[in-house]
Order: sequence, then C-alpha cells, then structure tokens
Amino acid sequence: MLALNTLKLDQWKRLCPRLTCRLSPFTRSGGACSVVSSGNSRRARCEAEDGVSTQIAGLEAKSCICHLCGAHLNRLHSCLHCVFFGCFSKKHIHEHAKSKRHNLAIDLLYGGIYCFVCQDYIYDKDMEQIAKEEQRKAWKLQGIGEKYSMWEPTKRELELLRHNPKRRKITANCTIGLRGLINLGNTCFMNCIVQALTHTPLLRDFFLSDRHKCEMQSNSCLVCEMSQLFQEFYSGHRSPHIPFRLLHLVWTHARHLAGYEQQDAHEFLIAALDVLHRHCKDDNGKKANNPNHCSCIIDQIFTGGLQSDVTCQVCHGVSTTIDPFWDISLDLPGSSTPFWPLSPGSDGSVVNGDGHPSGATTLTDCLRRFTRPEHLGSSAKIKCSGCHSYQESTKQLTMKRLPIVACFHLKRFEHSAKLRRKITTYVSFPLELDMTPFMASSKESRMNGQYLQPVDSLNNDNKYSLFAVVNHQGTLESGHYTTFIRQHKDQWFKCDDAIITKASIKDVLDSEGYLLFYHKQFLEYE
Amino acid sequence: MNKESQMRAAINQKLIEMGERERLKELLRAKLIECGWRDQVKALCKEVIKEKGLENVTVEDLVAGVTPKGRALVPDSVKKELLQRIKAFLAQHST
Repeated sequence: MLALNTLKLDQWKRLCPRLTCRLSPFTRSGGACSVVSSGNSRRARCEAEDGVSTQIAGLEAKSCICHLCGAHLNRLHSCLHCVFFGCFSKKHIHEHAKSKRHNLAIDLLYGGIYCFVCQDYIYDKDMEQIAKEEQRKAWKLQGIGEKYSMWEPTKRELELLRHNPKRRKITANCTIGLRGLINLGNTCFMNCIVQALTHTPLLRDFFLSDRHKCEMQSNSCLVCEMSQLFQEFYSGHRSPHIPFRLLHLVWTHARHLAGYEQQDAHEFLIAALDVLHRHCKDDNGKKANNPNHCSCIIDQIFTGGLQSDVTCQVCHGVSTTIDPFWDISLDLPGSSTPFWPLSPGSDGSVVNGDGHPSGATTLTDCLRRFTRPEHLGSSAKIKCSGCHSYQESTKQLTMKRLPIVACFHLKRFEHSAKLRRKITTYVSFPLELDMTPFMASSKESRMNGQYLQPVDSLNNDNKYSLFAVVNHQGTLESGHYTTFIRQHKDQWFKCDDAIITKASIKDVLDSEGYLLFYHKQFLEYE
Repeated sequence: MNKESQMRAAINQKLIEMGERERLKELLRAKLIECGWRDQVKALCKEVIKEKGLENVTVEDLVAGVTPKGRALVPDSVKKELLQRIKAFLAQHST
C-alpha cells in the first residue's frame, strides 16, 4: 500500500486544485498523513522481512473490507482523510465522501486517487511514483518478484525524439532486418552465423538500443563491429552487405579460422561468441577474471549450465559438477558410436509427443540419448570419495540451467581416426520444444519415484521456439551453408549469402538441420 | 449477509491469508494476455474514448462502457482453469 506519510501538506493540496477544504488533522504531525498511516501502518512499515508477509496478508484479509457491507471486492477504496474503507461499485465510499466531506480516496487495487469534487481519478506524478515503488515492494514481499513495466522515456530521450522526428514503423509483414551478405570467398560459414545472430531477438534489442559502451582502446573490438552490423541490417538498405571488416576482425582474433578455405560454421559460432564475450568483459572490468559470473550480454543470452552426475556403482554416491555451455552437441545415428537403444527411465516422448526407433530420428531422440545414464566401463573407473577407491560408475548429463537461446549442434561431420565423412541422416526437429524432460530437476523427480510427469501447462519455463536453422549442403570437402530465419511468427526466410527468399515452414522443417537455434518463449526478470 | 456471501467472504479470506489470491491474479493476468483478451478490451476502451472525446471521458465512462462486454469476452477455458486451481487449493487447505 502507500507510504502516504512521505507526502507533505502542500503536496496534498496540489493533488486537486479544486479542493478547498483543509486537511487539518495532518498539520499536527508536521504534515504527515498520520491518520491513514495508522490504518495501514503495519503494512507500510513491515516491508523488509519475508516472514511478516503472512502476517500482513492476514491483516489485510481481516481489515481491508468495506465498513458498510463487509465486501473485500467491488473496487475497495480507502478514504484519505480518515480510517474508512468503502467499496466503489456499491457507492459506499461515495456516501462517506458526501456525508463527511472527505473528498479524496485511494483505490486499493491500483493506487489511483479519486477526487469526489472532480468526479474522476486525478493524476499526480509524485503519487504515481510512490504507488509504483510501493507496488514493487509489495510484489517482492509476496514472492512475485519484478514485473514488466512499460518503458517511459527519460528527459534526454524525449529531447532526442523531438529532434529526430523521422519514425520507422514495424508492420506485421515488414522485411526490416533482412539483408544479404556477400560471400568473400568461402565465407558462407561466417555469413550463416551472422544471419542467425542478427535475428536473435534479445541480441538485436541489446545492440539496437546502443547498450555496448566500448572501453577498448584499439579499433579491433568485435562487439563494436557487431553493433555496426546490426545498424547495417536494420538500416532498411536492401542491397547486400559486404562484411569485410567483420571478416578481418575474425581473422585477427580467431587465427584458426583465418584463410580462404571452408570452415565449420559451428566452430565459427563458438569462436565468435568467445571473442564477443571476451571483448564484452572489458566493459565490466571487475568481472574480467571470473568466467563463471560474467554478466555480459553473450553470457546472459547463450550460457547455460550442464550438470554431470557420476554415480558410483558400489556405494551409489553421486558426484556432481556443473559446467557452463553455449551449445549442445548431439551425436547422430549412423556415426561410429552406437545411437540405439536408449536406456529406460529417460523418457522424453510423453511431453514432446514423438515417435520411437521405427520412425525418423527426432531431436528429442538425440536429447534423450544425450541425457541417458552411461556406463563408463571397467577401463574408466573413477575414484569414489565414498568408497575411497576406484570403482565402476555411470555418468549422466542433464540441464541444470537453460540459456535463453539454446543452440543444438547436430554432429554431422565425423573426423574419427578411420574416416572423415558427413552424416546426412535426416533428423526431424520441432517448431516448439519443451526441455522439461531433460532438466536436472526432472531427473530428480524421476529418481524420487515420480515417473511420467503430468504436462504442467502452468509452467512455461522450459518452452522454446525455433527461430533459426543453419544447413550444410554438399560434402565434407566442398559444401555450402545457408540459414533459415524466422522474421515474424510463421514467416520464414532463407538466407543464401546475398540472396534472401521467402521460405515455408515446411521448407524449414524438412531441411537436414545442422545448427538449430531455439529461443525461450517466456522470459522473467531477475 | 446470506450464506452464499458468507462463504464467499470466508474463501476470499483464506485465499488472501495464504497469498494464493495474488498468485491467482498473476495467473489470470498472464492467461488473459495470452489469449488476446487484453488487446480486445484495449480496443473497446479506445472506442469509448473516441465516442466521449479524450478531454471529457472519465474512468467511470470506461468502466460502465466496457465491463459487460469485457466480462463476456473472457474465454471459458480461462474460467475453467482458474476454477480448477481454486478448487485444488481449497481441497488442499480445507479445515
């Protein structure tokens, strides 16, 4: 509720210029609204501790009811002149206002101030500020956390908007952000990744709102170049862009990718994320030495946590480590390591509703295989801290923490000692993916005997949507990369170097798939 | 107060005390945004404002003009889901 005791008397009078009655009870306590605060004081005072929230809730349940009819709903208002609660819908607060000539009341739901003389809600910047702040504190206390609040321009931003009146309107079908990239000599491995990155929503928002403040002395900051690249892509120019500066910077910072021969797009993705992450870290100099607590935009978007549990087969003690990851590399059937059968108890098919060995391999099949318990064998015994000796064990990978953008890398390029080849097995992937079965928390529930998790429609945390697909055509020696990107919901485009064409969802889902980019559907605030 | 409103008040009180009412409100808010209800109501509000004129319209005009249509536009699935959730909660916490 409102900390009305922060308002001074003159601010009260300013609330409604037509109000002439004096608010005399308040002058006694030096202008503080002591009357109302005595009614709501417990709420206004107790903000800090969590255990008090139930106390407050109890008080609210018993005391915030209409004094005339006892209702809690019906748009309850609190009189600002005395301790009186009245509902609005039944006009009980109106009766009170008329009889006592108390002309100001506050809506207990939204904090709006109603003036009975003007017969409407009135708007005061200071009151709104207080209401906003108190609402935020109340949500925190109730465990709801931060909620989305609309952007409001600062003075400086208003100035800039006035000086720059030209506006670009984004319609449902617009093609802003789509731009071809010239191939500078086998550079499609770079182009395809650039297309995926420039269409990653959060990354795009970060760069288009100028959030990168560069502290690098030289001109070789890759993050600055990315920023430039976004400006080029969203400029509205339709001619293909020539990314020579980007290429040069990549050669400078990732030497292993230099040269005009064909490179692996996945390697480029990891190298690019790594360089961007390193160059971003210079922004928060203090965090530069701690790779696990970086708050750069790359980490915020792409970094997840992979949990590895090694279970001793003798004492069943579990040793757990969590490692950060930017992508998940998945083995495919047809490679030299056997794919089928999957072990029981690692069930992903219920949630994502897909098939079994007799049909096409699916992405969830690959994920199930990735998260299955694996016997490490007698030649790879691990030292068990419980048994104090080397024992056979099983290892299992699960997702501890999912990134906002999950990138799946289908391991199509086999570089074993025996052969180098491309695995072209078709793997079907969905438009929407639920990662719940592969989470560490799901595994814990399964181990506690709760098999077959019911699909919880209320929990949206692990739902992902496909937004980019990188494909490779050709052989290991000579091939070509292209990218499908999602411009709007159900509107996809194919990016083939300089050529951008419209694509159907079928085109996307029928494609072979090499790198699959998924974006979390629902985002929360810290 | 008759028996029904007594019961309603008691349930309400329980919901508030356990903090469930706030959680239900959050759930409802999310569902109503998801199904597009909020956008529909926004459009209705704009109509009322156009009718009355931006300078003269009051909150009461909007409430009176939009409430009946707004209530009717809430999808049955959302109502069902909320009802289920309340029932489950009461079953869990009945005395």
